[in-house]
Amino acid sequence: MSAPVLPRTPRQRLRSEMWRHRHFYLFISPFFLLFAVFGLYPLLFSLYLSFVKWDGMTAMQWVGWANFLSMLDDEILRRAVENTLLIGMLYVPPMLILAFLFAQALNAQWLKLRALYRAAFFLPCVTPMAVIAVVFGLIFSAEKGVLNFVLLQLNRALPFLHLQPIPWLTNESWSKVAVAILVIWRWTGYNMILMLAGLQGIPADYYEAAMVDGANGFQRMRHITLPLMRPTFRFCGLLSLLGTIYMFDEIFVLTSGGPGTSSTNVGLYLFNISFNDFRFGYASCVGYTIATFVFIGTLILQRRNRREEGSV
Amino acid sequence: MNNRKPNGLVSGLIIGCVIASVFWLLRTSPHSGAAESQTNFVVPAAHPEGKVTVWSWNIAAKSLQHLAPQFERTQPAVKVDVDMTGARMQTRLMLSLAAGVGAPDVSQFELTDAPRYIATGKLTDLTSVAERYRSRFPASLWDNCTRNGRVYAIPWDIGPCGVFYKRDLFQRYGIDPAKIETWDDYIAAGKTIFQRSGGRTKMLPLGSNSLRPMFEMLIQQNGGQVFDDQGRIAINSPQARQALAVIQKMRAAGICSDIALWSQEFLAGLNDESIATYPIAVWFAGTIKDTVKDFAGKKADWGVFRLPAITPGGLHVANLGGSVLVIPAQCRNKAAAWAFVEYALCTNAGQLEQYKSMSLFPAYLPALETPVLDEPDPFFGGQKTGRLFATDVTKISRLNRTPAWGEAIRYLDQELSRWAAGGMQSDGFFENLALKMHRRLDLPIAPPAVAANLAPQSPGEPIRRRPQ
Repeated sequence: MSAPVLPRTPRQRLRSEMWRHRHFYLFISPFFLLFAVFGLYPLLFSLYLSFVKWDGMTAMQWVGWANFLSMLDDEILRRAVENTLLIGMLYVPPMLILAFLFAQALNAQWLKLRALYRAAFFLPCVTPMAVIAVVFGLIFSAEKGVLNFVLLQLNRALPFLHLQPIPWLTNESWSKVAVAILVIWRWTGYNMILMLAGLQGIPADYYEAAMVDGANGFQRMRHITLPLMRPTFRFCGLLSLLGTIYMFDEIFVLTSGGPGTSSTNVGLYLFNISFNDFRFGYASCVGYTIATFVFIGTLILQRRNRREEGSV
Repeated sequence: MNNRKPNGLVSGLIIGCVIASVFWLLRTSPHSGAAESQTNFVVPAAHPEGKVTVWSWNIAAKSLQHLAPQFERTQPAVKVDVDMTGARMQTRLMLSLAAGVGAPDVSQFELTDAPRYIATGKLTDLTSVAERYRSRFPASLWDNCTRNGRVYAIPWDIGPCGVFYKRDLFQRYGIDPAKIETWDDYIAAGKTIFQRSGGRTKMLPLGSNSLRPMFEMLIQQNGGQVFDDQGRIAINSPQARQALAVIQKMRAAGICSDIALWSQEFLAGLNDESIATYPIAVWFAGTIKDTVKDFAGKKADWGVFRLPAITPGGLHVANLGGSVLVIPAQCRNKAAAWAFVEYALCTNAGQLEQYKSMSLFPAYLPALETPVLDEPDPFFGGQKTGRLFATDVTKISRLNRTPAWGEAIRYLDQELSRWAAGGMQSDGFFENLALKMHRRLDLPIAPPAVAANLAPQSPGEPIRRRPQ
C-alpha cells in the first residue's frame, strides 16, 4: 500500500477526516438510514405521486399538473379547508384561555395535591379515542344525550329561557361545535402543561420587584405574566392550528365528517380520498399543497414574531 | 464563509438529481403485473395438495375455521390455514396486491368492494371453473362478481332484508304485523305505537347520519340504480325520488329515532322499549342474539316480518351486505385454493355447515331449498325465519356496483345527511347529487330516459342485464 499522502485541498482533507472518524459515522448511521427509508423516501415518493393517477394496485399514469388543476374546483376540499379554519377558530381561543387559567391555578403556591390535578387534567389526551367516542356519543346524542337532558331540565326549571334540545351531531353548524367541545376537553390539559412550564419560567424576582413598587395582582398579570407568556401562547396557538389541519380521530369517531361534509377537515378529507377512494395521486397532491401552504404560513408567522421580539 | 455558496449550489444539484432519478426510476418501474396474467386462471386438479392460507375477519373467519377440518377430510392433501386478520385487512391486502407478493391464497371481500378489486386485474379469473355455478347464485350477487363476462369472485353469503320487531310491544299496542303490506302501513303502525306508548316507543332507528342503508333497500325494491349498465350516473331517477319520498314520510311522521347505526342507543334499543322494529338484513339476527344475551332483566320477545313493499303487490326483498371469496392472481396453488372455495361456497355441505354454525345466510341457491332453512328458530318464538328470509331472494334487484361504487355511495351518504339536517328539501336533490358525482368521479350522467326506465319490470321478474 502506498504511504499516506498529505491532503492538499479542503475537500481531500474533509474526506480523510471522515475516514479517520468512520466509527463515529457508523454509530450515527442508523438514524440516517431509518430516516432515508421511512422519512426521505416517502417524502419524495409522495411528491412523485402528486403527478400521477394511481389506485395503489394498477399501473401509475403520469398526469402532470392535472391533479393540481383539479384541486382548484374541488368543492369538498374547499369545504374541508373552511371547516378546518372554523373549527380552529371555535376551539383554539377558549382552549388556550382555559389552559392558561388552569395553569395559573396550578401554579398557585397555596394549592395542595398539585400532581394529582396535573395528572387529572392531562388524562384526556392519553385516553384511547375509542373510549372517548363511546362516552361523547352518549353526551351529544340528540335524543338521550346528557347535554340535552340537562338542557331539558333547565328548561323545565327556567321556562322563560326557551331552551331547546340541540341537534349536536345532526346539524351542520352544531357538528362543528360538538367537535370543538371534544377537542377542548381533550387538549386543554396538554396545553396547560406547556403554559405551566411557561409560567414557571418567569423569574420570581419580577413579581417581587413589582410588589415592592406597589403593583396589585391585576397589574402584575397585565404587565408581567401576559407579556412574558406571549411566546408560549404563540407556540401553543401554532401547535393547535397545525393540529386542526391534520386532526383525524376526534372527527372520525364523533361525526365521521358529517352531516354532509360539515365537519370534514383536511385530515379526514385526505384519509377519505386516499384510503377509501384509493386516489393516492390526488391525495398526495392535496397533502403536498396543504403542507406547502402551512410551511409558508409558519415561516411568515415566525418572521413576524422575530421582528416583534426584536422591536420589544 | 465565502466557500459556502458553491457548496449550497452543489448540494442543491445533488438533491435535484436524487429527486429526478427517483422520479425516473418510478416512472419506468413495471407496475403492470403482466407476469401475473400469464397464469391468471385456475387449472383444476383431481387431487390438489398443499397449504391454503385464507384471510378473513370476524364471524366469517370463524365460520371458515370451523369448516376447514370438514373440507380437509374430503381433500386430505390440502391444509387450510384461516388467518383472522381483523383490522386494516383491506390495507394489508391492497399493499400485497400492489407489491405482487404477500397476498393470501384466498381472501374475503365485502360484496360492495369486489368490483373495485376485480377492476385492478390482480385477481384470478375463475370463469373456466366457476361459470357452471352461475345459475346457482342470485343474479344480483353474481353480476357484482364479474367483469366483461369473466368471473373473478364467488358469492359467499347474502343479506336478505326483513323487519325484526318486538312481539310484546306489537301486542300491547294492538298492531298485527301480518297486516303490514306496504311502507305506508308500516308508518301508520309506527304512529299508532308512538301515540299509544305516549311517545316512549319509536318505530325504527333512522338517524340522519345513517339514511343510506334504508335508501339502498328502497331502490332495490323499486329497481332504482346509482349507475346504469354502462357505468353512467343514473341516480337522478323517479325510483330514487320515490325512495327519498318514503324516507321523508317516515321521518316527517315522527316515528324515527334519530340515532346512528351501531351507536350505544341503537344497541340498547334491542332490549328496552325505545325502539319497536329494526328493518335490516338477516345477519342482524346474530347481532340481536349476541347483544341481548349480556343484558340484565327481562328479554324482549322478538319476531320477524317481511320487508314492507313500496306499493301494494311490490317486492318484499332487498339485500344489504354479503361477502365474496377471491383468489389473488399471485396465488401459487390455485388448484388447492379453488378446491377450498368451491367446497365452502358451491356445495350444500359447505354452505349449510356455515349456516348452522355461524348463521351465514347462504348465497348458494340449492342450499336455500333444503329443509334446513325450515327449522324453527326458538329465539324468534319458533318462527321459521330461515325460510322467511330465503323467500324471493332471486328477485332481489341487481345494483350496478362499478369500481366507483364506494366513493359514489359516500357522496350519497353525505348528501342524505345534509338533506336530513337541512329540513328535507327534496327539490333538485338528485340533480345536484348526480352533478356532484359527475364532477368527482369523472363519469358521464345517464340520459334521463335511461334513468327513468331503469327498472321495475313487473315485480316478481328477476331483473336482468339490459342489452348493451
